[in-house]
Amino acid sequence: MSSDTLGGPARAFAGRVLQFAISIFALIAVTFTIGRLLPTDPVGAIVGELASPEAYAAMRERLGLDQPVIWQFVSYLRDLVHGDLGFAAMTGRPVLDDLKIAFPATLELATLAIIISFILGVPLGLAAAFNRDTWIDHIARIISLVGHSIPVFWFGIVGLVVFYAWLQIAGGPGRVDVFYEGLVPPVTGMILIDSLLAGETAIFWNAVSHIILPASMLAYAAMAYITRMTRAFTLEQLNQDYVVAARAKGAGQARILMHHILPNITVQLVTILAISYGGLLEGAVVTEIVFSWPGLGQYMTSALLIGDMNAVVACTMVIGLMFMTLNFLSDIAYAFLDPRTGEG
Amino acid sequence: MTCISVRGFATACLLSTALSSPLLAETPADTLVYGTSLAQVVSLDPHQGQEATSLEIMANMYDRLVGSEPDGTLSPQLADSWEVTPESITFKLRENATFASGRPVTAEDVVWSLTRLMTLDQAPSSKLKPAGYTAENIASMLHAEDAHTFRLDLTGDIAGDLMLYRLSEVAASIIDREEVEAHDANGDQGNEWLRTNGAGSGPFTLNRWDPNNIVLMDARDDYWNGAPKLERVVMRHVPESQVERLMLERGDIDIAGALSAGDTTYFKDSDAVTVQSIPTGGFYVLALNQERPELADPKVREALFKAIDYQGIETAILGPYGRTRHVPVPVDYDHAIPDPEGWNYDPQAARKLLEEAGYSDGFSVTIKTIAQTPRVELATAVQAGLAEIGVRAQVIQGSGADIISAHRGRDFDILIPQTGAYMPNVMGAMEQFSSNPDNSREANNAGNFVWRSAWDIPELTQITAAALKENDPEKRGVLFEDMQRKFIEDVPAVYPMFERFLPIAISNRVEGYKGHPQNVVRLENVTKTD
Repeated sequence: MSSDTLGGPARAFAGRVLQFAISIFALIAVTFTIGRLLPTDPVGAIVGELASPEAYAAMRERLGLDQPVIWQFVSYLRDLVHGDLGFAAMTGRPVLDDLKIAFPATLELATLAIIISFILGVPLGLAAAFNRDTWIDHIARIISLVGHSIPVFWFGIVGLVVFYAWLQIAGGPGRVDVFYEGLVPPVTGMILIDSLLAGETAIFWNAVSHIILPASMLAYAAMAYITRMTRAFTLEQLNQDYVVAARAKGAGQARILMHHILPNITVQLVTILAISYGGLLEGAVVTEIVFSWPGLGQYMTSALLIGDMNAVVACTMVIGLMFMTLNFLSDIAYAFLDPRTGEG
Repeated sequence: MTCISVRGFATACLLSTALSSPLLAETPADTLVYGTSLAQVVSLDPHQGQEATSLEIMANMYDRLVGSEPDGTLSPQLADSWEVTPESITFKLRENATFASGRPVTAEDVVWSLTRLMTLDQAPSSKLKPAGYTAENIASMLHAEDAHTFRLDLTGDIAGDLMLYRLSEVAASIIDREEVEAHDANGDQGNEWLRTNGAGSGPFTLNRWDPNNIVLMDARDDYWNGAPKLERVVMRHVPESQVERLMLERGDIDIAGALSAGDTTYFKDSDAVTVQSIPTGGFYVLALNQERPELADPKVREALFKAIDYQGIETAILGPYGRTRHVPVPVDYDHAIPDPEGWNYDPQAARKLLEEAGYSDGFSVTIKTIAQTPRVELATAVQAGLAEIGVRAQVIQGSGADIISAHRGRDFDILIPQTGAYMPNVMGAMEQFSSNPDNSREANNAGNFVWRSAWDIPELTQITAAALKENDPEKRGVLFEDMQRKFIEDVPAVYPMFERFLPIAISNRVEGYKGHPQNVVRLENVTKTD
């Protein structure tokens, strides 16, 4: 009995770790192979168009690209075990240092975006479901349809034209105005938090004015999905016998929502939250480019374009880790929210 | 609880943004903000980095012996005077120049720096190779006669006055020997460190470089020529042209360096912004691989020249980026000769030439180009022109790295590269079009522009070499004209289509900024009004 209760979670945890290790290894292997098969040339990008063949060969050797691919892979794994992600050919710095800048930038943006999209998306989805086929439902449908179908690029530019250039209520591209650049010591790498830690409220509000537009743009696209899913989940519950029964007993809308619908769709909402958040954390390449946001998406795209595999593989791992962590967290949340999952 | 505080926070954010009065967007008067793409900035080691934006940054972190003004004249920089003889150039270094570390700049540093340029053997070393300097011979050509006298022996391959232009380029920057040697790792001559740090005697020092985000430079109060007027220079990564335009309009940036043709023309009639079209002295080129038998036929090449609608492209695509020119020397340079008769848009004549060459049914080729404005549009226009005469072309776009390596490896049919001039005379613009000492594949001379197209031009190479070492300006002028005539006669496989200009849009608050063909704009005298 006791061995069961102890062994169960421990075994589950070990299984999860194993699963995790296998997934990460597969990720690295596939990314590495694809990267080496691409006809891109990081050496050319560094030494430049006019370098002599000798200089070219020397740099190739320095980057280890003269070795057989399989050996490159083995030595990459060996360094990785020692916590060394290698140098990024693109920036000439350790990949880890680059990630310390790029990842917090994306994390900050994605987190704010997911918060906004949930705060707006869930109530809108609920309202649409409770008022099915009324004008509220139609408006919700239009909002989410627009969010789904407008290209992010266009949306970002129009957002800048309206809120930044025209109304002048949002800060421009970049994370802060230039005169605030480099004034906050990086602790977490997230400027909203770092500026508060440093007690620099002026910089904090400036950063808010800069992040609000890209975060809202990203949030809108995510909100479209969240609204649609919330509406679908709620409608499914509304048609269940228990809701009909509750209604028959005279329960009001508020009671049905709080006591019957919400508890039953929370697990599904957590899944949606995890999926959307994961998607945002991959780094929204287009949004990052339009808003000159130095995040993971932009970093990874630039690295891919010159075939800088150390950077690409590291980014892939970070994204993989993020997804696995989110899965893990949502599993815990399920156990909390739904006792049945805990037993199963 | 958490939920409430998070919600409260978000609401506060939204409200504050919505309610706040219009933000002050003006940049401070002591800070110059330059918006451009920093994507290609991969090294700030002057003996390695060579991309335009990197050059602009390094031009202000480092001094050279000789400076170069936007109009092409040379001016004293670290050397306050020099004397040129047919055998050597002797420089007197100024005595008050110091590196950012505080060390005085000495002739030893000059010797060490120029030696490092050659022995590091990266792309910038190609600046001195045509002048006869190699990693092997460089040390024997440089002499520190005393702490402030430096002598450079000439190789006989280049005239002294032309050599001075080479020494005015970023590649010939003088570096703090002690500082860099202290950061040597595994005999890399400090390269890994210097890629991301500075060790120069220039008016600005590197404060911070976040790749693909921002470069901050601070003014040096102890600069030998007096402290710069600006306190700070910020280069901001703005990869999107339309976004850059908005930022310039709002005053968040002072200079926009990577605008599309459309966004540049937008400012044509603006009161707040001026557009400068910087002549690069270079060209948009049609490179034709001579290893393709069809393209090796001069008749076919001439047919292709006649298939392109230059005027149409100039108006519809290039705008501020270029103007038609088919001799690789800008028309306003001394000794420039006019464009050859007949190399203009004439599809009928082109078809006839193809017929004569035995290709009345045309043939198929690929056109490779870097996916970048305006080269992609150019490639598409060339493709349309070729289609009209029955040559079926497929356009292949790629990143810089892909296309450059295809070019280096002669792995293309047609490719659209671009060039720039290193000095404002025939040699500076044309040398790369007219010199190919060994065309064999084994020579693997991938750094040579002509070699990449496998265009064998022994005679033209000879004339070029003779002009380069000619000390008599008059005789040199004659040779300059011979070079251009021979180039036309040989029906080039590296065919200049358009002279290349670089448009930049500058806020009228900025005074004293003048774009430089070799990207060595100095910022110490730039000012901004409030």
